[in-house]
Amino acid sequence: MKIRSPPGLHYPITVVDLAQKRDDEVQRSSPLFNYYYETIVTEGDKYGDVKDVKKRFPARFDSSADGVITKWFIKKGTVIQHPGVDIIEIEEPCTHEIQFGSLCANCGKDMTEVDYLTEERNVDRATINMTHDNVALLVSQKEAVRAEEDAKRRLLGAKKLSLIVDLDQTVIHTTCERTIAEWQADPHNPNFEAVKDVRSFQLADDNVAHVAANWYYVKMRPGLKEFFDEVSSMYEMHIYTMATRAYAQEVAKIIDPDRKYFGDRILSRDENYTDKLKSLHRLFPTNTDMVVIIDDRADIWHYSDNLIRVPVFNFFPGAGDINASFLPKQQELVTSTSKSVLPEPVFTKAGLGDEGETARPLSVATKPTEPAPLDISNGALTELQQDLLQMGGGDNPEILEQQVKEQERVIITQQTERPLLQKQLLLDQEDDAAEDEEENSEAAENGETQTTEHHRHRHSLLHDDDRGLEVIEENLRRVHRAFYDEYQKKRVGPQGGRIAELRGEKSPKKRVLEDFVPDVKILMPRIKQQVLGGCTVVFSGIIPLGMDVQASDFALWVKSFGADVSLNVNRQTTHVIANPDRKTTKVKKAARYSHIKIVNAEWMFQCCTRWVHVDESPYLIEIDPAERGGSPFEDLEDDDIGATGDEDGDEPQLSPLDMSNMSDEKWQSLGDEIDDFLNESDDTEDNSNSDSESVRSDSSAQTESKRPKRKRKRGTASIDGSETEDSDASANSTSKLQRRKKRTLERVTSLTNVVSADKSSGLPSPETTGPEEEQGDDDGKYADPAGDAADAAGDESDYDDGLEAEMLAEFERSASEEEA
Amino acid sequence: MFFFKELEKTIQLHPSYFGPLIRSHIHRELLTKEEGSSTGKFTIVCILDNFEISDGQVMAGSGSAEYTVHYKAIVWRPYKGEVVDGVVTSVMRSGFFVDCGSLQAFVGRNMIPGEIKFDANATPPQWTDNGDQIIEKNTNIRIKLMGLRSEVDKMYAIGTMKEDYLGPLQQ
Repeated sequence: MKIRSPPGLHYPITVVDLAQKRDDEVQRSSPLFNYYYETIVTEGDKYGDVKDVKKRFPARFDSSADGVITKWFIKKGTVIQHPGVDIIEIEEPCTHEIQFGSLCANCGKDMTEVDYLTEERNVDRATINMTHDNVALLVSQKEAVRAEEDAKRRLLGAKKLSLIVDLDQTVIHTTCERTIAEWQADPHNPNFEAVKDVRSFQLADDNVAHVAANWYYVKMRPGLKEFFDEVSSMYEMHIYTMATRAYAQEVAKIIDPDRKYFGDRILSRDENYTDKLKSLHRLFPTNTDMVVIIDDRADIWHYSDNLIRVPVFNFFPGAGDINASFLPKQQELVTSTSKSVLPEPVFTKAGLGDEGETARPLSVATKPTEPAPLDISNGALTELQQDLLQMGGGDNPEILEQQVKEQERVIITQQTERPLLQKQLLLDQEDDAAEDEEENSEAAENGETQTTEHHRHRHSLLHDDDRGLEVIEENLRRVHRAFYDEYQKKRVGPQGGRIAELRGEKSPKKRVLEDFVPDVKILMPRIKQQVLGGCTVVFSGIIPLGMDVQASDFALWVKSFGADVSLNVNRQTTHVIANPDRKTTKVKKAARYSHIKIVNAEWMFQCCTRWVHVDESPYLIEIDPAERGGSPFEDLEDDDIGATGDEDGDEPQLSPLDMSNMSDEKWQSLGDEIDDFLNESDDTEDNSNSDSESVRSDSSAQTESKRPKRKRKRGTASIDGSETEDSDASANSTSKLQRRKKRTLERVTSLTNVVSADKSSGLPSPETTGPEEEQGDDDGKYADPAGDAADAAGDESDYDDGLEAEMLAEFERSASEEEA
Repeated sequence: MFFFKELEKTIQLHPSYFGPLIRSHIHRELLTKEEGSSTGKFTIVCILDNFEISDGQVMAGSGSAEYTVHYKAIVWRPYKGEVVDGVVTSVMRSGFFVDCGSLQAFVGRNMIPGEIKFDANATPPQWTDNGDQIIEKNTNIRIKLMGLRSEVDKMYAIGTMKEDYLGPLQQ
């Protein structure tokens, strides 16, 4: 330890002599050297006169450390002018690198002692906690680095990475509802199959719920054992949970009975210091290059680059995460449905019909504006969970108290009100009602739930069909492969050095480990960026109003996959992620741009969980051409649609299921056409812009639309076709609002049709352009007047005189037509 | 080291307990609250049966009664240099934790004889000399306390194995 001149001495001081020589052993508080300082003192004499005298005072400098002197920086006669000058170097016998409960683990000394010599408290030498299950054991920075180097070597040797595993809703789902035990005991219950492997435990010191004997029912995510078996060969796994230690340990006993996957590497809320965040640096204080995290929430990790965000495992509908009340409020309510991990659209829809229906009656009362029926867990969101999510973070004890109470309340509600039982009863009632429609219900079941009994159809509330772990495993495999591929590549590097050596050059120094160990933080984003790279995404009806879109959970999520998020639909936009229930202005606007894919949120979930740019077609939101019969352009449209689709007559009656009835080839051809179209989008983009522009802008702008008309031939037909084919189920609904929406939408769709009609007939027909332009005008104006103006200005440049004349003529004709 | 110590405790009793069984209520309260608790200096191991209860005094405002109980108890106070037996609770690279009754002790790497090495790849991880000495979770072990520090209701200790007759106990 180097001792420097401390503050608080009478500088300058002059060294008189050194009390110890080099290599002498010194004790703490024994003298090191003598010095004197000069200062002015006021002296009075016997006559009462006062005068200031400069006086010299001798003093002694004591050692503040034990050890052997290795170097003196001063010698006799040295004048030390100010604090901070090096005085002496002492080699200590113990540097107190590891401390347990403020005791040095190596020498047993109490580190909290403070005396007149203390400059830096000994407890400050070790401040890093890197043990899972203890908060009292702290190590110094140096020790931490050493430990991590060791761990790194070991992992590299075993070709492994570190994996941090979250418990609740990632690998397990827990509820406190007693109903589960009853279902387990009853083999005739429709849920029996799903709950028969649910494990339960009680916590001895359960002070969370003051209700006696609180049972926790733990459902393991399907395929968990195989998942752990597979993953443990590639990763050294740690548990990191926001639950209490007792809970974590019980769960660990269930998911890892032999303690071979996790051992003692369990970190719980009790050791985390904070309830709000999880931090990689808690376990890996200096180096997180080889760490991967799987968790269902990204916000508590601060969207760490090491994180693989996994689809939420929501087995007990409405139970949520019983340990989440301490976490900051979740930003979004929409979560991925476990069922639709399978890409077949048929299946998704079937699941919806089944589940969405049953969950709705419960949640409608509390949550009238639920964002999407596509989402089972969301639809089933109860008031309870809502409350749970409402609770924000805060550091003061009152809020903490409140959170504890809230968690208690949640658990008690689960115990007393038993929402699952209620839901099942409701489901049974519906089944009874629907018994005569046996055929249909059979189809809705879709062979997915094993509980269909033929004498009596009882749907099960719980579905044991989560496939999330397969997706996670695939992602983990990719990361592991990428890491070790790069590691090998870099490690082979030194062989170039070997050639250099042979050439007689000096052999290169053994490279430091850091040089060729890749960094997961760089590697993983690189893989992820490719997924949605080049996409520009606009959210519509997904993120609650008044929230900063760019900072919202979803936006950050898609951004981490390389997509750009913009606020408004513009030329760059490639995807609009919308709520299929609500036709927002953005959707309407996007509908006019045929290259923009309007998809539901499920598409985003699929991309972001499976790490592939999934085909959009099953997730496209049908742009509703309802009540098209009333449109004056019917004939023209039909001609057009005839090219790709044929459902002109009965379009409004189309149910969403019909979309899935389309044959594979059809999808294929559709997809191809879209691809073709997209490939050309560079030039078509402008066209389609001005295209729609022309119809909603005034007469002068309208004239420009001829050029686009020519070009559009390439792709529009297919796009229009797909849009019309995907006609919306909402056509069946009857509410006034709905009808109005439809009408607006109709405008949108017919807009595109008008253009294609023009193309097909070679000349714009008078009937079409007139009304269309006016409607479009209104539309565009309240959608985004600024954008329109800009677009119009841009289009002005490709002004075409001949075209203008032609278009003007058309316009006049149509205007007169309209008046008539 | 174990001591025989006279102690005093103030117990508050809710009015619903007032009645002929009041003495046994107080006794039970004393046992559940005090036995096994640590004051930071010592741990109360066992409370002896003969104890004196002062006259109760009803507290203004709450209606509870306050009793002062004098009792004798066997207490355990660890000392620096004391040799204790314990059970290993957690094993890690930097050492291992030992539970000696109410006292949690840590045996650091430097306090473990050189021939006993850490094996992280074993499941569960262990300290072993590849012979008969294996230290893993739940091993019974004998250590010597090198340092002690007490906080309000807790004690921390540092232990060592680097002396004769210390180390895992043969089962």
